Amino acid sequence: MNGAVQTALVAPAGPARRAVRDPLVAGLVGLCLAAAAAILVAPPAPYLVNALGQLAAFAILAVSLDLVWGYLGILSLGHGLFFAIGGYVCAMHLLAHGAAVTGVLPDFVQFMGWKSLPAYWAGLDHGAYAFVLALALAGLVAFVFGLASFRSRVNGVYFSIISQALVYVAMLLMYRNDTGLGGNNGMTGFPLLFGWPMGSPGVVTGLAVAALLTLAVVLAGTRLLVGSTVGRRMLACRDDETRLRTLGYSTTRLKLGIWCLSAMIAALAGILYVPQVGIINPRVLAPDLSIEIAVWVAIGGLGRLGGAVIGAILVNGLKFWLSAAMPEAWPFILSGLVLLVVLVLPNGLLDLVGWRLRPTWLRGAR
Amino acid sequence: MADPLRALLALCCLALLTVPASAAPLDRAAFAADLCGDGAAQVRGAEGLVQAAGDLAADDLAFAGGLLGALAERRLACPAEGALLLGRPGAPEGRDALTGATRPAAEARAPVLGLRQRAAVETARGTVALLTGPDPAARVAGLAVLERRIATVPAAVLDRARDAETDAALKGTITGLAHAAALSSPDPARRRAAIAAVAASPSGAAQARLAALKGDPAYSADPAFRAALDAGLAQVSRAVAVGDGLAVFYNGLSFASILFMAAAGLAIIFGLMGVINLAQGEFIMLGAYATYGVQEAFRRLAPGLLDLYLLAAVPVAFAAVALVGIAVEALILRHLYRRPLMSLLATWAVSLFLVNLVRVTVGTQNLQFVMPAYVSGGVPLYADFVMTWNRLFAIGFAAATLVLTLLILRRTPLGLDIRAVTQNRDMAACLGLPTRRVDRLAFGLGSGLAGLAGVALCPIYSVNPGMGSGFIADSFMVVVLGGVGSLIGTLVAALGVGGANVLIEPVSGAVAAKVIVLVGIILFLQRRPEGLFAVRRRR
Repeated sequence: MNGAVQTALVAPAGPARRAVRDPLVAGLVGLCLAAAAAILVAPPAPYLVNALGQLAAFAILAVSLDLVWGYLGILSLGHGLFFAIGGYVCAMHLLAHGAAVTGVLPDFVQFMGWKSLPAYWAGLDHGAYAFVLALALAGLVAFVFGLASFRSRVNGVYFSIISQALVYVAMLLMYRNDTGLGGNNGMTGFPLLFGWPMGSPGVVTGLAVAALLTLAVVLAGTRLLVGSTVGRRMLACRDDETRLRTLGYSTTRLKLGIWCLSAMIAALAGILYVPQVGIINPRVLAPDLSIEIAVWVAIGGLGRLGGAVIGAILVNGLKFWLSAAMPEAWPFILSGLVLLVVLVLPNGLLDLVGWRLRPTWLRGAR
Repeated sequence: MADPLRALLALCCLALLTVPASAAPLDRAAFAADLCGDGAAQVRGAEGLVQAAGDLAADDLAFAGGLLGALAERRLACPAEGALLLGRPGAPEGRDALTGATRPAAEARAPVLGLRQRAAVETARGTVALLTGPDPAARVAGLAVLERRIATVPAAVLDRARDAETDAALKGTITGLAHAAALSSPDPARRRAAIAAVAASPSGAAQARLAALKGDPAYSADPAFRAALDAGLAQVSRAVAVGDGLAVFYNGLSFASILFMAAAGLAIIFGLMGVINLAQGEFIMLGAYATYGVQEAFRRLAPGLLDLYLLAAVPVAFAAVALVGIAVEALILRHLYRRPLMSLLATWAVSLFLVNLVRVTVGTQNLQFVMPAYVSGGVPLYADFVMTWNRLFAIGFAAATLVLTLLILRRTPLGLDIRAVTQNRDMAACLGLPTRRVDRLAFGLGSGLAGLAGVALCPIYSVNPGMGSGFIADSFMVVVLGGVGSLIGTLVAALGVGGANVLIEPVSGAVAAKVIVLVGIILFLQRRPEGLFAVRRRR
């Protein structure tokens, strides 16, 4: 009883090969590929393409959280931190690249009265370096925080609270103007992406396709992972960590490894998200936003990677639509949706389609 | 240059300057003539009056004030027979300045003030207002005018004003100004006395004022002056350091009180049910809004008792928020006890709902509260340390809450039940305790405590729908650090976190303080994952 998800979930009973045949995930991967192909063949309006790309980035983020929450029972309320790390490094790359090509310094550098980019920006105009840096940084932060928490067996709601405090502190830090990261205005006005002008139809399409393909790869990869022996160990750890440890497995190493992987996937989502919206600011580090990620996962269905994707796309699609159509009502709808899901559909919307065939959750004491 | 007219003017000037030494009454005719004269004469008249004002009789000052006012407002006419005070600019007739007789002012010249003359006249008016102003507001206004040209104001004027002043705050201001004037006096003995006087009432401003004197040429030239200044400065610095220390302690205590109020309810709920109530911040907000409701009710029904609304709001806010909490428990959380992470999301949804409900129904603006005397202002205790009543209110409120909550938990049947269920739910249930009912009541108690925190916050923080989110991170840290379900642990942790925040903040900034406190808590949990005071229980 580690305070984890207490509902019974499907155990991968058969061999790993059978578990990979998850029709939901397979369907979603196929859908992603189909959408990417459709965008390339017959591109719809750019704003639709852009919205689709953003949704794909959110879906990747949701999958990263589902990996640790649904399969390890670790609810992070600070996943926005890793998303933001990816996003900030990506924004730094875009600005450094733009400055290297055009010779014009970013707005916030001029605003601070600096003559050049801060020293630690060196080399960020190389895309590959920035990419590796973003993932490595997210992994490193996750490693340090995870090591400190898992080693001393901080778990359950304790872990959630501390991760929330972490993202909150990071937000306060980024609101400062002297960090060289844009302060409270954040970073925006990206001129170029790999030499192509930002916002041109080709770039928009390319980004959306990249996000969709990445989602497909992440989804397939994580599904393979949770269907493997490691995946079974994850479920065992979630359901009874003490017993797994007694059996001789190092749960700390297991949790730490998956936790870092999840952080890097979240950073990947951030990398894909920022060029599509064209801005990053400390708002992405607001604790509310990190909780919302958990809400997507919970609404879609916890512990089913496909559920996270569906939840992310559904909630964010609704948000795109409703926060423009009736901004006053959106928070009420969101809170109502959350309450409905946690009270009536403990396994998320997947319950509605009768996806889960074993009705154990109804008896579900744990 | 041997212009006889100029010589005469100089003589007049001298005569005027020497008048105060002998405490002679004001030469009213000469004064009126000066004001009616050319620019130089006007300046001479006004400045002469300022120099003499320390010794002039009140009726002389009143006479001068009336004339100066008339001059500034263009109600002074200057026919050949003598100055006339007009009722309004350009009036056909006026009162003779000296005799009071009414005379026609036709064709008479009305003097106009130049820039330099206006400054001199304003200073003179300020002096008169400071010395004879009927109420403190008038005297404050006069002082404000003098402050700009404090170097030209003689010490006698300020001394007289200080001695006559009845308003304590204004008296303090005048004293400060008098010291400032004396510090730059040409007389060394007077300067040293002023240094001692300034050092006797230490403050940050006094320290800065004395420190500025180190650049004075006399500091290197005059050993006596240097010794006096060094001694005075050391005395002030010591006192200011002590005062600042007291202020830090006081602020830390008040911040800790608020943290404790916000976290106490959380700790009870979390310890009992393992439920993280993310809506606790919004419960605080509801408490503040309930206080506002009580204030408005008082305003409508009993305006005479308006000052008491804060006290009346205590039971109202407690009951209202406790009811909201019980409703939330009964409708939502009851179904989620076995799934703590889901109850976390559910309470987040509740908080989102409450924030937006208040936003839509009341509005997003900050609420305006009447500040009764017992929560406004403060008493200066030592150096720069001012004990403000609103913070003292919060500290006292938190202390009272602590005592009451401890009494409830330790001395009532409900408290016994709560402690039993917290320690071993299954065993308590086996012994026949209605654990669900205990949960509900405890949730009500915890929510009610949040409502009380809302009352305590009204005089200190701005109250708006989003205010709750500011507390949630800090108060969770307090709960985690203190150990789940331990009220004493919560208190110690609140004092620690509040103290650390206030101590680190001046050194490295508010953000760094938060970072350091968070890192410290994470490191601390490495040693004691259960927090400071873990409640022993079976798992």
